[in-house]
Amino acid sequence: MPETDSKKRSISRVLRSALRAMLLPLISVVFAILVGSLIIRLAGYNPVVAFQALIEGAFSPKRFGETMVRATPLLFTGLAVAYGFRAGLFNIGAEGQLFMGGLVAAYLGVALGGMSAFAHISIILVAGMAAGAAWAFIPAILKAKVGAHEVITTMMFTFIARGIVQWLVAGPLKAPGPVAQTEPVLPSAFLPRLDSILPFHVPGRASIGFVIGLAACVIMWLILKYTTLGYENRAVGFNPTAAETGGISVAGTTVKALCISGALAALAGVTEVLGLHGKLFEQFSSGFGFTGIAVALLAKNHPLGVIPAAILFGGLSAGAGKMQLEAGVSQKVIFIIQALIIFFVAAEELAKLVLGRERTEVADVAG
Amino acid sequence: MRSRFLKVLAIGLAFALLAGFAVGCGGDDESDDTSTDDGATKTDLMIGMVTDTGGLGDKSFNDLAFAAIEKAKADYGATTTALQSNEVADYEPNIDDLVASDYTLIMTVGALMGDTTVKKAPEYPDVNFIGIDQFFETPAANMLGVTFREQEGAFMAGVIAGMATSSTFDARLNPDLTVAFVGGMDIPPVERFEAGFTAGARYANPDVKVISSYAGDFNDQAKGKELALAAIDQGADVVFAAAGLTGLGCITACQEADALFIGVDADQYETVPGSGDVMLTSSIKKVDVAAFDAIKKTIEGSFPGGQNISYGLADDAVGLAPYHDFDSVVPQEIKDMVDTVKAGILDGSIAVPATRAEL
Repeated sequence: MPETDSKKRSISRVLRSALRAMLLPLISVVFAILVGSLIIRLAGYNPVVAFQALIEGAFSPKRFGETMVRATPLLFTGLAVAYGFRAGLFNIGAEGQLFMGGLVAAYLGVALGGMSAFAHISIILVAGMAAGAAWAFIPAILKAKVGAHEVITTMMFTFIARGIVQWLVAGPLKAPGPVAQTEPVLPSAFLPRLDSILPFHVPGRASIGFVIGLAACVIMWLILKYTTLGYENRAVGFNPTAAETGGISVAGTTVKALCISGALAALAGVTEVLGLHGKLFEQFSSGFGFTGIAVALLAKNHPLGVIPAAILFGGLSAGAGKMQLEAGVSQKVIFIIQALIIFFVAAEELAKLVLGRERTEVADVAG
Repeated sequence: MRSRFLKVLAIGLAFALLAGFAVGCGGDDESDDTSTDDGATKTDLMIGMVTDTGGLGDKSFNDLAFAAIEKAKADYGATTTALQSNEVADYEPNIDDLVASDYTLIMTVGALMGDTTVKKAPEYPDVNFIGIDQFFETPAANMLGVTFREQEGAFMAGVIAGMATSSTFDARLNPDLTVAFVGGMDIPPVERFEAGFTAGARYANPDVKVISSYAGDFNDQAKGKELALAAIDQGADVVFAAAGLTGLGCITACQEADALFIGVDADQYETVPGSGDVMLTSSIKKVDVAAFDAIKKTIEGSFPGGQNISYGLADDAVGLAPYHDFDSVVPQEIKDMVDTVKAGILDGSIAVPATRAEL
């Protein structure tokens, strides 16, 4: 039975390489927790109590719903940044694309009435993605045509997007009342809560946005691995000159990659508005676009890696309140731990040195 | 060989770190002071507070609310805790967590949390909610809305600013007759500060121009500094900021670009060390007094729910802080004028606008 044997071997090889790819991020997390503990300890609190509360607050069955809520936008922004990176593009402006997605969702959630929830939500998802892609298109075309660096342009577009939203929610789109926010979206635009559609009980307010996020990760993985689009994306990211020589249009791929990245980031805004807040206000995103960069980094830009990375960051955010309540540690400590994780991922070279070079060949399995 | 050595070293360090915690955590038994035996009313009330995204450490609004629950702890032995919100999504879970931990009096701090309070109070009918800076259209029996007439104190601050910019008692005052207001977010309590300040400045001198700008954030010191510098650049020599942490950036701007500053909420001369050289006065809003008032009523009697209470000058809940370092330089004429204006507001002969529309 040589065939099954080789299949078995190839499965085990895939598993092994996946494990190897996850090793360094895992080590980074462990180191971040250790150093974070030290900081909590130095601040005069008990790190054991703190992390117990954090883990319980994030991953106990009762609380996992909240972790899903927090992970949802990060799935999209993490994926957006990761996809861009795979084409060699640093979409630092996911936050701005997210704002445009949220804006479209809040507007169409009120403006489009009298249709089924399925139609309403589908239209908004597509329109939101289009808005995000459009918002990324100008930086993309500037990059492709005149080489304007996307780090600068997408960042600038984030400021513009924020400004537009800030103005609209305080002005033309403002709902009556003291606070600058839009009218609540119609019930048909609300993303159903997981609890209401799954056969088992899901505590908390997690919506199907989380499932859409998971699906997006899988789809983007398949696209990157099995389609021409994905191949071109990776080829340009790996070596643009070689790709160009091989007949791939670098400019075209750059535009496509940034627009897809923008569309994905916009979905974060759409699901936040339709799945969580039900309305738009200036502070509806706490920098998910930027946290998405960290998520992508931790995921090593692998679409499937984005899932555990987003859940981890979501869990840190969800558990922070519990940690604060039970251990007295400020929520802000979570920012430190997040930063430490990034630091250790970035300091990977150091880890490679410690672990020995030979075992950490770049595992670019994932396609 | 080298890499193996490093590996061993790394593992060794990790264990050393862990051992450090184990030792460190061992001797850390809670030693809360349980020694307040002075015969005052004791309570087993559990009071929780949830901040908005501005958070503690703003040296003004949230810190004052925190002072109220700290006082309840000191005076009555109440169990207290404050949960900060990193993001808007934290508001609801923070309230849920407090309720799950048996807190029965919850103070939500800030106008931005108003919607959340309205949503959560019916879910927990056995828990009482104090909404600071929140006005409820239909307050249920477990809801108390606490608002302030910020405009009354701000009017007096405006009078000082308007007279100061028209005078020359400090070298930093220029002849441009311009003062500045910097707001955090454009929400009703901040608008009341702006309206009162603007009206006061014009009351002092109708020719005074007030430059108003909003940062859109209570938590952005860089933005605060930028806005204040822009106003100073246009000739403003007195800057009043009602902007939480953002306002601390305005103080820096005044220090660097030679303007005077008027603080907000707390007496910021006291809460922001090193600001005395620019701190003319502060337009105080005694969040601590009002919040503690509600807590005290709850402990000594019953929760004063089902209503909105507005605190103003007559309740000594808003007003002006001392001049501190400027006490000797501010002309008596200004001080007298402030007293006159205060009396006028109290007896109703001066009507202070609460919105820009009323200006």
